[in-house]
Amino acid sequence: MTKPQQQGTNLLYALIAEAKTYKDTIVMGRGDPDFDTPPHIVAAAKQAMTEHHGDHVPPEGLLALRQAISRRVKAVNNIDADPETEIVVTNGGQEALLLMVLAVMAPGDEIIVPEPNYNTYHDALKFARAVKVSVPSTADTNFRADPEAIRAAITPKTRALLLVSPNNPTAGVISREDQQAMIQIAHDHDLVIIADDIYDLFVYDGYQHVSTASLPGGRERTLTLNALSKSFSMTGWRLGWVTGPADLMARVKALKAAISGGTSVISQYAGLAALTGPQEPVHAMHEAYKQRRRMVLDALDDMGLKYGVPQGGQFVYIDIGFTGMDSAELAQKILSDQHVLVYPGAAFDKERGQYVRMTFLQPEDKLREGLDRMRVAMKNILATS
Amino acid sequence: MTMSQTKAAILAAHAANDLLNAPAPPLTTRTQGDVASDEIFMPLDERIIATASEALESGQTHYVDVPGIVPLRAAIAEYLRAATGSLVQPTSIIVTAGMQESRFLTIQMIGENFDRIAMPSVVHPGAKRALGVRPMPVETLACDESSGWLAPVAEIERAMQAGVRFFYLESPSRLTGAAYSEADIAAIARLAAAHGATIIQDQGLAPWATTAPSLAAQPAEGAQLVSIGEAFPGMGLGSWFIGYIAAPEALIPPMQSQKQIMAICTSTASQYAALEASRIFSEQQPGHAARLREIQAALRARLTDAGGHALPGVTATVLAIKAPSAPAGLEASLADGADFGAPGVWRVTVSFSTEAEAAVRELVS
Repeated sequence: MTKPQQQGTNLLYALIAEAKTYKDTIVMGRGDPDFDTPPHIVAAAKQAMTEHHGDHVPPEGLLALRQAISRRVKAVNNIDADPETEIVVTNGGQEALLLMVLAVMAPGDEIIVPEPNYNTYHDALKFARAVKVSVPSTADTNFRADPEAIRAAITPKTRALLLVSPNNPTAGVISREDQQAMIQIAHDHDLVIIADDIYDLFVYDGYQHVSTASLPGGRERTLTLNALSKSFSMTGWRLGWVTGPADLMARVKALKAAISGGTSVISQYAGLAALTGPQEPVHAMHEAYKQRRRMVLDALDDMGLKYGVPQGGQFVYIDIGFTGMDSAELAQKILSDQHVLVYPGAAFDKERGQYVRMTFLQPEDKLREGLDRMRVAMKNILATS
Repeated sequence: MTMSQTKAAILAAHAANDLLNAPAPPLTTRTQGDVASDEIFMPLDERIIATASEALESGQTHYVDVPGIVPLRAAIAEYLRAATGSLVQPTSIIVTAGMQESRFLTIQMIGENFDRIAMPSVVHPGAKRALGVRPMPVETLACDESSGWLAPVAEIERAMQAGVRFFYLESPSRLTGAAYSEADIAAIARLAAAHGATIIQDQGLAPWATTAPSLAAQPAEGAQLVSIGEAFPGMGLGSWFIGYIAAPEALIPPMQSQKQIMAICTSTASQYAALEASRIFSEQQPGHAARLREIQAALRARLTDAGGHALPGVTATVLAIKAPSAPAGLEASLADGADFGAPGVWRVTVSFSTEAEAAVRELVS
């Protein structure tokens, strides 16, 4: 099967595999921050290897870490979560995502998914044998998920609503008003909300991240995931969590025990250091992302490309519909021609594949070179199309 | 519909899922005195700490390949070749975030090709739980004490003749430490070949066994034989959660895709620690096993002298004891055979501590 014929996650991994065959690839697709994990976190991990390597790890995670998570989600997200019963530590945000889907969705149940959306949700829903009901959005509205469109998509089989803010791949942030409207819809139709806050610390231009579970009526019906991968540049540690009401969290915990049993004790102590230690590294990374974002948007403007203004996250979603090419084909050409890896929108929304996702997770000089190469690639593509 | 109705439906479905809610062995601290844990506590060699630390300090803190870092996959393949005679390529290995993830990925993803699964009536509850995430019908293979609570070959043959083509087996048994003989393994492989069956073998305890042959080392054209286990047990990595799947290459892609969906990759620190463990495993583990066998023999003798009944087994870290009940105060710190499907059997995990001896003393008193 050629790459443009592949879909979703498999398409992305096929491109990643090809990108690895070039020595000079500039990766502007994958959501893996270029920063290494801050040194104090690595130091804590080393200490744990000596002092805690044999600690028993319950499926829900170390209590000390759950307590730190409880404090974090209260301080940052204004979510109340009892560390004893309302938090489960996971192997990264990815496992948290699967656990939330499996905890809520039974085969045949429908979930409303504002699209485009993170490709792994599609995969997790497929695994759960649940049915995704898409509610599309476009760059014209900065990919706003319209509450009334969501309401219109509800059927008697709808059990849940997925809210990812800042969204991946569109980088759109759901406003407080829209969040409250979503909660009302969920209340009216007795839905559980699956909320993904993984980019909550990364918002721009005065936009504010608001957690669904922090709003009136939200807490009792919302499962929320987060992870340290993006905020502390800890992708390789695989550490995340789910919070939610105790009754649903009991199900999440049982699923965690069934799927992987526990989470590495070393990663958990590293996570504890991340949450309780200095926060300057996060602020420094945020500042860097702000500058890089500006650089990328300026370059895209210069190329005359249309995009949704990223209100949060670590990427921009670019409309390439004017090329007349499918996004998988375009991403393939950019990779083959200029060795720049961007992610095709077809992986996130196969029905509306006229976008590519570009991250700004490279140092500025590399990012600049990547953008220069992208400019050449687009010229070449337009010249031959 | 009110919110409580949706939640009630979710929770009722959960409560009705006996597989997902399969009881687990007691949660105790994985210390030197832990006699209930699946994996014994062992100190961590300084070289493992050094290698894992060096990897982290050199920036190995990012995503790595979904099936695991290449040198670790190669090390696991070599370990399986040396320990079991299985000729697997590194490309046939997936590094997992521990034994339970190995159970989950194999049962769920290989299981998509089948309409039912055969499991022994006595099996680690983790296998039932993994199946319970997305249940499929179970053909139970009746086990009894005479077979060491392993599924008898005749039972496996009966199930194959009844049309079952997907099996989950343990050898050594997670409860008793009993393992199939060479002849039994050869017979099971022949049956699998004759019926085109797929068999997952949990062989995680094999390094502690005097003999525990692997199905995957058998010639079995037409069959698909899969091995799972902890990576380098006895190296102090129990709480680091690192395991493996070794499978025919045709079975790898769906499991690798699901691994990507559920975790992207396994913790890099754990992988580099396991890589170092692979280098010192052959130097340290046989000595550990020999010492544990001596301790186990002494415990077994003490038990027998006191009129107790130890079940036969070949695994140094497991002593299974037949007793109608555990003494008050001790039941919470022993693995209860009832959780595995064998009430009246209690598992003591043999380690270098004196706790196992204390547990045996109390059991026979």
